[in-house]
Amino acid sequence: MIIVIIIVVILLIGIFFYNSLIAKKNQVTNAFSAIDVMLKKRFDLIPNLVEVVKQYTTYEQGTLTKIVELRAKAISGNVNNAEKAELDAQLSSSIKGLMVNVENYPDLKANTNFINLQTTWTESEEQIAAARRTYNSSVTDYNNSIMMFPGSLFAGILNFQPIAVLETAAEERKNISAKELFNN
Amino acid sequence: MFNTESNVALQQVLAALEEQRKNIAAGQKKGYFIIAGGIAILILAFVLGFPIPGFIGILALGIFGGIKLSGAYSAQRIYSDKYKRNVIGTALKFIDPSLTIEPNNGIGENEFRHCQLFNTDPDRYKTEDLVMGRAGRTGFYFAEVHAEYKTVERTKEGTRTEWHEIFKGIIFVADFNKNFNGITIIRPKDFGSAFGAWFSKNLFSIGSNDVVKLENADFDKTFVTYGSDQIEARYILTPAMMERILNLNHQSKYSISLSFIESRMYIGFPLARNYFEAPVFKSLLDPAIMDEDITAIKFMYDIVKELDLNTRIWGKN
Repeated sequence: MIIVIIIVVILLIGIFFYNSLIAKKNQVTNAFSAIDVMLKKRFDLIPNLVEVVKQYTTYEQGTLTKIVELRAKAISGNVNNAEKAELDAQLSSSIKGLMVNVENYPDLKANTNFINLQTTWTESEEQIAAARRTYNSSVTDYNNSIMMFPGSLFAGILNFQPIAVLETAAEERKNISAKELFNN
Repeated sequence: MFNTESNVALQQVLAALEEQRKNIAAGQKKGYFIIAGGIAILILAFVLGFPIPGFIGILALGIFGGIKLSGAYSAQRIYSDKYKRNVIGTALKFIDPSLTIEPNNGIGENEFRHCQLFNTDPDRYKTEDLVMGRAGRTGFYFAEVHAEYKTVERTKEGTRTEWHEIFKGIIFVADFNKNFNGITIIRPKDFGSAFGAWFSKNLFSIGSNDVVKLENADFDKTFVTYGSDQIEARYILTPAMMERILNLNHQSKYSISLSFIESRMYIGFPLARNYFEAPVFKSLLDPAIMDEDITAIKFMYDIVKELDLNTRIWGKN
């Protein structure tokens, strides 16, 4: 009788840990798809931004073409998550450069459409940052539970692997230098 | 810093009110003195063996003293209202011309429940001294709030009601500079909330608001954060915002609570003192008389700057 109880208890604990690990893993996937949604929202902004900027500047054509190309590649569907993140980082730095260069075009700077786009862009930047932090928090939570005892026992048997957190792109850590961005 | 001595208009208001204050103080003193006299007569009458005249004495002097006191207290209410409107009201304009005070208004009980700063619903609720205004592009208001709940215990003699404090202090409300749809609540971490947070994170989640684990270790040690949307909570609580909130918390004596609901931010500052009250037994002409009140208002006004709420680059004007 006692043996049966012990087996049932062990089984129940096993089910509980297994379920909680699966829930945490799903949370990680979920958090990643949230980043994806935010990125899509940002990619959707780009055509409008390019359109508005084009009307006012003749000198930024190179940057604009580059931005359009990067966006096309990012939404093409042929890229994996890591590549998408990389494309997004490149897009971000190009657009940051563009925003800095706007200082040279007073008419563009005063354009209502442009101002709206600029605020929406800043908003989406911060939302993506928030989504990334959420993802990292879910990853840490998941990693903790598969590395700590007794979760580590189950994780070992069921072959749960740790997931890497998202690092901030090296470019983002640097302060923006207008001069450097001009030369891109 | 604001200086009462340099303001002529304020000096005149203070001089007129000072007369009223002296009368009220004298009235109150007289009332208590008469009642004390009555008690003295009663004791003397008992000692001398004439209890009846003693009772008549205390009755007559008690009624007379009571009338005197109630007159002085009703005059004090008028005086206190005038002090808030005229003295505090004028002083507010020195901090910012947009600031106004409404002594009889406050933060409604509905709003108090709605802001979810506290878990318990109040059974007794008092609020006064609503200060409203703008700091730059951000509108804000704050008021004194005292909320309590009761417990009723059955005893042999019947029931005994006890009142317990939920919150006493100032609730500050400001228009937040970012758009959001959900609810984010930040409460000081005590044993109960720390255990509750661990429980809901590791075992079962209770209610619709989950614990949000933030990467700022100091912040996570000081507060427990709950949110209806994990990403939105982090959108509001950027690393810089967490630092600013920690800083604000260090500046106040007791731990603060915050909530972000329907485009507004609410902050509860527990305080032991009742602010904006006119002194009765201290001279109004003392230059330091309003120092603490003005410091409190300035502190509230500076929150907007402290939390950087005037930066409006996130699609909300």
